[in-house]
Amino acid sequence: MPAGHGLRSRTRDSFSRPFRKKGYIALTTYLRTYKIGDYVDVKVNGAVHKGMPHKFYHGRTGGVWNVTKRAIGVEINKQVGNRIIRKRIHVRVEHVMPSRCNEEFKLRKKKNDELKAAAKARGEIISTKRQPEGPKPGFMVEGASVPPWRLLLPSLAML
Amino acid sequence: MAFVKTQKTKAYFKRYQVKFKRRRQGKTDYRARIRLINQDKNKYNTPKYRFVVRFTNKDITCQIISATIAGDLVLAAAYSHELPRYGLEVGLTNYAAAYCTGLLVARRVLKKLEMEGEYEGNVEATGEDYSVEPSENRRPFRALLDVGLVRTTTGNRVFGALKGALDGGIDIPHSDKRFAGFKKDGKQLDAEVHRSYIFGGHVANYMRQMEEDEPEKYQAHFSEYLKKGITADDMEALYKKVHAAIRADPSVVKSTKEAPKEHKRYNLKKLTYDQRRASLLERLNALNSGGAADDDDDE
Repeated sequence: MPAGHGLRSRTRDSFSRPFRKKGYIALTTYLRTYKIGDYVDVKVNGAVHKGMPHKFYHGRTGGVWNVTKRAIGVEINKQVGNRIIRKRIHVRVEHVMPSRCNEEFKLRKKKNDELKAAAKARGEIISTKRQPEGPKPGFMVEGASVPPWRLLLPSLAML
Repeated sequence: MAFVKTQKTKAYFKRYQVKFKRRRQGKTDYRARIRLINQDKNKYNTPKYRFVVRFTNKDITCQIISATIAGDLVLAAAYSHELPRYGLEVGLTNYAAAYCTGLLVARRVLKKLEMEGEYEGNVEATGEDYSVEPSENRRPFRALLDVGLVRTTTGNRVFGALKGALDGGIDIPHSDKRFAGFKKDGKQLDAEVHRSYIFGGHVANYMRQMEEDEPEKYQAHFSEYLKKGITADDMEALYKKVHAAIRADPSVVKSTKEAPKEHKRYNLKKLTYDQRRASLLERLNALNSGGAADDDDDE
């Protein structure tokens, strides 16, 4: 008999609870608050059957656009054919965790604000732009010995 | 010893999933806790308070608690070992004492939130079902009863504490089905019976009955009552005074005892590797010198 394509097809492993983490869900998932504009990761918790997103959204990250009594509205990009659609889904809080994708950005924002305020106090102008990693500095190779026959090659003759 | 097949193999331990710590200790009912703490997401950081009542063998604890990720925060607490301050020295774990403790924590919370004038609650304890009416300015303080692991039978002392808090002026959703004095056949709360429980009437009846039937047992059982000079007829007046004293001054009195510099150790201190090795050598030497065999392995 052919394979079905139901809503939860092919989710045997992705929706299953991890090893030795079955049973009651830790209370922090229920105590977290989400505001509109936060980024969240969608990760399905197989123990809670209500408010589960479709398996496509498992592992996706999106922004919060709505907050209801027990669920969060998340806006996630989905590629359909030749375009990307912004899909809006509602997911219960058990299937959502706060995303760390912009954590580094937020920290950098805070640090830059402090640096700028300090520089303003001093009267200097500083640039807080990130610089790309440049080429590595030159160095002397220690302890390298050249076998005598290679000295015969013209390119290494100067060694 | 005969060969016993090992029940718990290494595989058993490898696959074993421990329950949450507080469940292993048998202290928290997580199913109930999840439902009590869960706050609507569109209420964001608004705390959801629960009115926690716990009984030990000699004490009653009533607390108003809100939950955070870092840990639960206690807004106000009352213990029945504070009741001697209000004039109640004996029977600190009965239904009447539970009522007093609930009343005390309710008045404390309202005082802390500066709502005590607005929400007097039920000053005359009549035993009838009383719910707080919202006043003009502020809505009443709302908490949810957290019973813990107690079996909620009719007439349980936790409902005595609940009644105390309700009469104190806190809004706790409830029904009168489990108050002492609820008749299952009539499906109605007998306010008179409930009132007698609130004022220790059931204890007084027992005292009277025992005094008549078994005087020696009476002397033994109610010795503390007799020492303080409390008789069966004094009970109601005594509790009335305690209620009034609680309403007059529910503030917390900090204990003047200093914290001990060194805390008492309740469990054995863990030995270091060297200490354990040394003690093992000692034991082996003693065994070998005491035993018949002359093998001297100092391992």
